[in-house]
Amino acid sequence: MATIIVGYFKRLGEDLRRDWQLYLLMLPMLLWFLLFLYKPMEGLQIAFKDFSPFRGIAGSPWVGLENFRTLLDDQIFIRAFLNTITISGLGLIFAFPVPIVLAIMFNELQSELGRRFSQTIVYLPHFISVVIVAGIVINLLSPTTGVVNLILSSLGLDRVYFLTQPEWFRTVFIGSNIWKEAGFESIVYLAAIAGISPTLYESARVDGASRWQMMWRITLPCILPTIIIMLIIRIGNLVEVGFEYIILLYQPATYRTADVVSTYVYRTGLQGTQYDLATAAGLFNAVIAFALVFAANRISRKVSTTSLW
Amino acid sequence: MRYIRDTLALLATCALLQTGSAYAEDAATKITDDPLELTIHFHFRDKYVYTEGWPVEKKAAEWTGIHVKNIASLATSNSRDAFNLLMASGNLPDIVGGDVTGGLKDDFIRYGMEGAFMPLDDLIEENAPNLKKFFDEHPIVRQAISAPDGHIYFIPYVPEGEFSRAWFIRRDWLDTLGLKVPENVDELYAVLKAFREKDPNGNGKKDEVPYFAREPIEAVRLINMWDARVSGSERYGDFMIEGGKVVHPWTTANYKTGISKVAQWFKEGLIDTEVFTRGARVREYMLGNNIGGMTHDWFASTSNYTEALKDSVPGINFAPMLPPKTVSGKRFEDSRRATVQPAGWAISYSNQHPVETIKYFDFWFSEKGRILSNWGIEGETYDMVDGKPIYKETVLHNPKPVNAQMWEIGAGVPRGYWAAYASEEQWTNKMALDGIAMYEKEPGLLQPEFTGVSMNSEERAVYDKYWPSLLTYMMEMQQTWVLGAQDVDTSWDGYVARLDQLGYAKVNEVMQAAYDRQYGKN
Amino acid sequence: MSAVELNDVVKRYGALEVVHSVNLNVEQGEFVVLVGPSGCGKSTTLRMVAGLEEISGGTVSIGGRLVNRVAPKDRDVAMVFQNYALYPHLNVAENIAFGLRVRREKKDVIDAAVKEAAAILDLTPYLARKPADLSGGQRQRVAMGRAIVRKPQVFLFDEPLSNLDAKLRTQMRAEIKRLHKRMGVTSIYVTHDQIEAMTLADRIVVMNGGRVEQVGSPMELFLKPANAFVASFLGSPPMNLLRATVVSMDGEPRARIDAADAEAAVLKLPRASSASLRADQRILVGLRPEHVAVGMDASADVQEIAATVDLVEPLGSEALLHTRISGQSIVAKIETPADVETLLQIGRLQIPVGRLHVFDAESGRAVNGHA
Repeated sequence: MATIIVGYFKRLGEDLRRDWQLYLLMLPMLLWFLLFLYKPMEGLQIAFKDFSPFRGIAGSPWVGLENFRTLLDDQIFIRAFLNTITISGLGLIFAFPVPIVLAIMFNELQSELGRRFSQTIVYLPHFISVVIVAGIVINLLSPTTGVVNLILSSLGLDRVYFLTQPEWFRTVFIGSNIWKEAGFESIVYLAAIAGISPTLYESARVDGASRWQMMWRITLPCILPTIIIMLIIRIGNLVEVGFEYIILLYQPATYRTADVVSTYVYRTGLQGTQYDLATAAGLFNAVIAFALVFAANRISRKVSTTSLW
Repeated sequence: MRYIRDTLALLATCALLQTGSAYAEDAATKITDDPLELTIHFHFRDKYVYTEGWPVEKKAAEWTGIHVKNIASLATSNSRDAFNLLMASGNLPDIVGGDVTGGLKDDFIRYGMEGAFMPLDDLIEENAPNLKKFFDEHPIVRQAISAPDGHIYFIPYVPEGEFSRAWFIRRDWLDTLGLKVPENVDELYAVLKAFREKDPNGNGKKDEVPYFAREPIEAVRLINMWDARVSGSERYGDFMIEGGKVVHPWTTANYKTGISKVAQWFKEGLIDTEVFTRGARVREYMLGNNIGGMTHDWFASTSNYTEALKDSVPGINFAPMLPPKTVSGKRFEDSRRATVQPAGWAISYSNQHPVETIKYFDFWFSEKGRILSNWGIEGETYDMVDGKPIYKETVLHNPKPVNAQMWEIGAGVPRGYWAAYASEEQWTNKMALDGIAMYEKEPGLLQPEFTGVSMNSEERAVYDKYWPSLLTYMMEMQQTWVLGAQDVDTSWDGYVARLDQLGYAKVNEVMQAAYDRQYGKN
Repeated sequence: MSAVELNDVVKRYGALEVVHSVNLNVEQGEFVVLVGPSGCGKSTTLRMVAGLEEISGGTVSIGGRLVNRVAPKDRDVAMVFQNYALYPHLNVAENIAFGLRVRREKKDVIDAAVKEAAAILDLTPYLARKPADLSGGQRQRVAMGRAIVRKPQVFLFDEPLSNLDAKLRTQMRAEIKRLHKRMGVTSIYVTHDQIEAMTLADRIVVMNGGRVEQVGSPMELFLKPANAFVASFLGSPPMNLLRATVVSMDGEPRARIDAADAEAAVLKLPRASSASLRADQRILVGLRPEHVAVGMDASADVQEIAATVDLVEPLGSEALLHTRISGQSIVAKIETPADVETLLQIGRLQIPVGRLHVFDAESGRAVNGHA
């Protein structure tokens, strides 16, 4: 055993001497990982403590799984957790395909100028702050002056106070998110499409494929690995719904569908300075996210041979 | 009930005393002959820090010999974060203070008991005659800031004055429609209905919004008409004291009636359909477009619209009115100024000069200090007229609001000090002053304030565990009912059961225990 | 009727003309190879036939039908690409079937066609594999299979063997030849490799700078290159070209090899070209390496000339001799003697006068009467 270890370090020493330039190149990233990812993990202890900032992490007493028990006993937390999964799940179904479709549509555009113009137009919303987007959404959906309701009432339909109806929240949230992000997210698929060898299309043209057939039989299958990687990443974020935008859009009246883990943490943890509870909720989320990504990756590797690791 | 009467009596006494201006002697303001520098961390209202350069602070240093040097960084734009970071660093300056979202009272008490701050009781007793006098005269303040261990760990920012908000109505619309100011619920209903249907703005469109509101706390304020309260304090959804018992206003029978009636009024279009999503500029929108009829909001700011809009909305007269009588024939005003603000300052455990520091704190409660902290510098921002500080004309007629001018020189900032209502009065407009006078004249309008409880760590654990979700659920149901998504009568029992399931009884129990300990069981 | 006919075909990109007025008739069943250095316009010409490039001028007809404005899929051609253009997500069978499937052929027809093509190309064991799991040669066979199943009027090959190593290339070359013999489909084949052109073609089209330099059977081009470019492009190693000036000697034109700082050798010229030469004309004298001899007896038809050997490259049975005549280098390809070292001592080369080619230095055209 000892000889094995000695041997390992001896080899490592030789490697270091020989390839020190390579190791030097690796150093910044290694440091980055240590400082910004592994060192902060020390803070995860907070989830198992009755934490007081003044006493510090070391000075706060251990409470075991008490914080987790508090969370899982809390029906509002459970509801928030289920809401998170539902919103991300629906987002996955409805929002995930949109950038792919967009990218394919851009790719089909013949005029270079038209393509650049429309791409820029759909990228733009990404750069608008969520605060502004929420303001636009609230204005558009206003029951008295909002365009949507003006159209509804001119069609003889009832006006709907969308932002106070739990049934509508998911639609509004996911819909406006698509508007904001789909264009920007399509960039990665456009890059993937740009990587497809043009001779594949030429060959298909000679073989007699129509544009539609080329799209289905060449473009889509060729960007499938990219789609799968994006999907796995997305699944990892299934338990993650950013709280800024939700907080701007939700109302107590829509908590039933709108309250997610991050907003729960924001309300109870950060506003009430309960860092221990907030950390526990974060850790809980992370563990589930990891399990999901792991499972998704397993399945993908089996089914499609594409995987993250 | 006896308690409330006592408190009221006490308050009345205080009010008398305060006009008599019975300050302790402060002939010598010098605390040390050799100038002493104390460090301070004081980040407040998310964008200011305590500043040595303030003229007010310079004057205080000149008078006391104590120079405070700020160490809080303006790099963060969140006072709560700044405070928490300081506490986490464990490296505290001589003085810690501030005014942050959610308040610092609980933090001062909690960290005080953990050893971060010095208990001030003995220091005050021995070295701070002004503070001692103030607390003796205002036992409610002392009670409100006491920790579960009985100590005081911070000196608060103490506001003065009673009424904060009022009912405002378009009196010109009443005249147009030949109606008088509503005196009770039924008349109020009739007035709002008329606003809705009889086109008081005369544009031929049915675009009037009879009742609108700016803050969440005001959206359901009309439940007052059925003797239900929105909150026991200025905090939205706070507990209240009823007959010595801690009760949440949203669990009472009156609330059930009130919220169902408000839902009814909402359905009839008497309350703004978008009342929950309007946001902060609703008064500008509703009054500027000549469509809003009535609201409940701050005296001072809401009184400005009549003057400001007189050109664009001819004839507008948006003025305070007394609260209409409730269904039981009472009249009451739900809101009031806080007795104590959860802001101020404390002495950290590592301070080497606690005596000098408490004397410095005490200075601000002296007559000189109080005038300095409210009116600023004599000869520059105010003059003494008949022994009273009066703002200079240049200050009163500056386009900038007086309070903003004061903040710039370091007056009126939330250090541990005693605000003087007299200073505010000098720059409040006539409509608001008349309104306040009208409210003051009406007996028994003011409701007792729930000044909060200081919980020990076991009580705090129970409260922290259950309360956030309880409040979430109660707010959710409140809106759900008002918007008509659920019927109050059919869902009330389920609501009560769910509250119990979510731990209402447990929270109530620890609140009561803490209350009894803090305020005495009388 | 020609299978494929190009009349004055021109390709322009904006103001830049890259293919100038190409004329070509490909007969039914013929195997025509377009060869030339890279950038000579051969691929562009092929792609215009396929319909992948728009035709800027002139006409292209396939099977007597004008196809200038006909979509690629309706030209009844099949094309094999240099990088195979296989669909990475489809297996071999699906790749081969692709062209039929997009044309919505019946399943049993497709299956039969795939099976047949796979059998022809020895791909049967690999039908279920993905392209990524195949070798380069196998991939190229799949690409050909995809063309075969379509049973087109014309096969188009765009440098199909360029991505293969030398050994595979030789093997595949033979296979393509065999396939063509078996199927007899008209083929147009683009390559930059003159050996491929020589071995595969019924007729070779040599292109340079967007122009056709010469069209003819491989041996025709080899023996009678119409100009210095064709002469130097075909054959390996390429023909030696010596810069020379025509001088008159004994009433007959001779070529004085240009020599910078050495003694200028004078060469006799073949009779056929003598008539068209004039004194002081600048010419290039062409001589294929394999025609240079060592140790042969001089005669009327064989001229001996002084040369210095710089380098010997033995290739096995043959050896390349890098020599200099009057300062200009000449490569000779000779049989390797038992003792290679002796070659370095050689001081003279024998040149058969009848095998010399003469080109005008300015125009590059042949003046020895072959053209």
